[in-house]
Amino acid sequence: MRKRFLLSLVGALLLSSLLLAGCNSGESSEGSGKVTLTFGTSQSGIPRTGIMQTMAKEYEQETGVKIDFQVVPDAQWRDLIKVKLASGEAPDIFNVDVDPLSMPANVRPEENAIDLTNEEFTGRMSEEILPTVSYKEKVYGVSFAPSKIWYVYYNKRIFEELGIQPPTSYAEFKAISQKIKDKDIIPFYQAPASGWYQVLPLFETGPNYEQAAPGTYEKLNNNEMKVADLTQLKTVIEQLKEFADLGYFGKDFLSNTVEAGIESFGQEKAAMLLRVPGTEKEVSEAYPDMKDNMGFFVMPWGDNQTIGVNPGGSAAMFGNKNSKHPEEVLKFFRWITEHDHLQRVFDGGEGNLTICWPEIEPKLTQDYIDYEKNHEKGTVMQAAVKYIDPQWMDIGKDLSGMFAGAMTPDQILQNIDKRRAEQAKVLKDEAWQ
Amino acid sequence: MNVNKIYPWYFSSGAIVLYLLFIVAPALLGIYYSFTDWNSYSSEKNFIGLEHFRTILAGDPTYLLFIKNTVLFTLITSIAKTVLGLFLALLLVSGVKAANLHRMIIFSPQVLSFLIVGLVFKSLLDPNNGFVNVTLRSLGLDVLAQNWLGSLTWAMPSIMAVDTWKGMGYIMVLFIAGLLAIPRDYYEAASIDGAGFWQKLFRITIPMLMPTITIATVLNITYGLRVFDAVYVLTNGGPGNATDVINTAVYSSFAKGYWGLGSALSTILFVIMAIISFFIIRLMNRKVEY
Repeated sequence: MRKRFLLSLVGALLLSSLLLAGCNSGESSEGSGKVTLTFGTSQSGIPRTGIMQTMAKEYEQETGVKIDFQVVPDAQWRDLIKVKLASGEAPDIFNVDVDPLSMPANVRPEENAIDLTNEEFTGRMSEEILPTVSYKEKVYGVSFAPSKIWYVYYNKRIFEELGIQPPTSYAEFKAISQKIKDKDIIPFYQAPASGWYQVLPLFETGPNYEQAAPGTYEKLNNNEMKVADLTQLKTVIEQLKEFADLGYFGKDFLSNTVEAGIESFGQEKAAMLLRVPGTEKEVSEAYPDMKDNMGFFVMPWGDNQTIGVNPGGSAAMFGNKNSKHPEEVLKFFRWITEHDHLQRVFDGGEGNLTICWPEIEPKLTQDYIDYEKNHEKGTVMQAAVKYIDPQWMDIGKDLSGMFAGAMTPDQILQNIDKRRAEQAKVLKDEAWQ
Repeated sequence: MNVNKIYPWYFSSGAIVLYLLFIVAPALLGIYYSFTDWNSYSSEKNFIGLEHFRTILAGDPTYLLFIKNTVLFTLITSIAKTVLGLFLALLLVSGVKAANLHRMIIFSPQVLSFLIVGLVFKSLLDPNNGFVNVTLRSLGLDVLAQNWLGSLTWAMPSIMAVDTWKGMGYIMVLFIAGLLAIPRDYYEAASIDGAGFWQKLFRITIPMLMPTITIATVLNITYGLRVFDAVYVLTNGGPGNATDVINTAVYSSFAKGYWGLGSALSTILFVIMAIISFFIIRLMNRKVEY
């Protein structure tokens, strides 16, 4: 009896092991021998128009290789891909938001990504994007994303009616906001409920800090100064608080989301909002009255007049080094980066005016070209200073707390330094030892 | 060996193996990881002893706020669900018309996912266009209109209210079952002796319901301590960290890739739940004699 009991236990264990093995197999080939590549991405990692999926179907017809897209909401993907990479369950191709500082820690490319350094297409990618997808002089990622710039978009009609001009300093920004508020229009659309939007003014104006005291970024990276020592950053935070207290973000703005911003701006409930180039198309498609009614200017927090450029910050594709089909992954990358296919990805996108491939002609209007000519540019702080981007959402929560009255600007700065030290410790950063 | 002793083990061996593999082993692994620096940025897992626990319990006051919020949420929602559940159960067994229909309506939120409930209430509680504030303003009660989920004062009470609304139906059903199990003779005898409603309630109903109250309290407390979805969907812990609880901090730690720290927070939650559950069951598990 004891023997039978033990045999049953062993049997049950074997069955469980088989079940576990079945759960873990992650088979990406179909029984017929046809190869299927899994492609994991966040929603904003691929164009919303579905152009990538359409092209993938054509690729399947040409080559027999199927691309199985697994699209995950943005807020979950950043966490999910970390777990998938750590557990060896990552898709054959995966999209990750990249910047030169956090990509190596988020992707751990030497362990997880196929080396693309010697591929022909890497030589055609823009010089600006290469550092964001490279590590130790090797290229690991392919991106289509343009350099990202956030401007303040404004309603020309409201500005003309009130006789006001785009501001060039914080004082002017405040003055025009008061005039707009007096007309019962929300001066500036703020969206703390989304968690990240309110953080943009702090670090997109980073080039302004660097210009005022050259070497600031380097000192912060070498742990020779604290974020709390950045008096200009503190000023920006205080100005955001002042805007909130003066009602320039509207009443009860803490529940606002980014998605609702287009509606608020398009319906002329709000006169200004922070967006990226291409916004005009999105707004005027939803609200035709807004066509040719939108202007833009660089965000004037802390008297900033420099355009902050983020060379990365958007998704790049990586090939999974542990994929069963690395050659097929490379073939797909070679195919999608052919000139005509790049053009199709760009044309089929939803409002991007540039792409990080110099061979593709940008669609920037003369307004943008002229504006960029007349303003200096610099790299935004989150793309040049370590351990800022990974705590973006935490800073967003702190700022919401400040708007609600639970935190002070000084506490926010101290928290940023504390979290930087935590991450430096995890990554065994020598400058923090 | 006695065959009668072996057979129960023989038949349950498969379930025991699955239980050990999928419940016990991950829990033990989680506790082990809480003593390591396991994170998403390195494949190494170094043993660091109690460092995470020191950070949580002594190093960072924010974590103490999360623990305080969790305990407060648990305490208030447990009391509210028990009191309201009992009140509704008493009402529905007292011969009110269409009792089954009312019972179904009150219980129905229980079967909905908190994701749906949360999204609905986010819309209802929207400070600008939400039903609650629009109604208050249309009644001329502007002064009562609040930023329900966005203010330090109202965010936590709002989450507690929504959670209580969702959970009280289940507790009500438990109490109805308990009330129906009390022999009617006691009430008849008490009526003959001239006992009023309150005397019957406190001398007969509540003592007889103690086993049900015990179950309801343990369920409410363990649910309250594990709360995550209510907070995550309604406020995501905001404004600031005002409504963050232990499980949102666990989620946040895992999201940041600090898996060892997240495991330590989960371990603390596990210990708190084990201690509270143990004492509640000890204190309230009295035998009821009819």
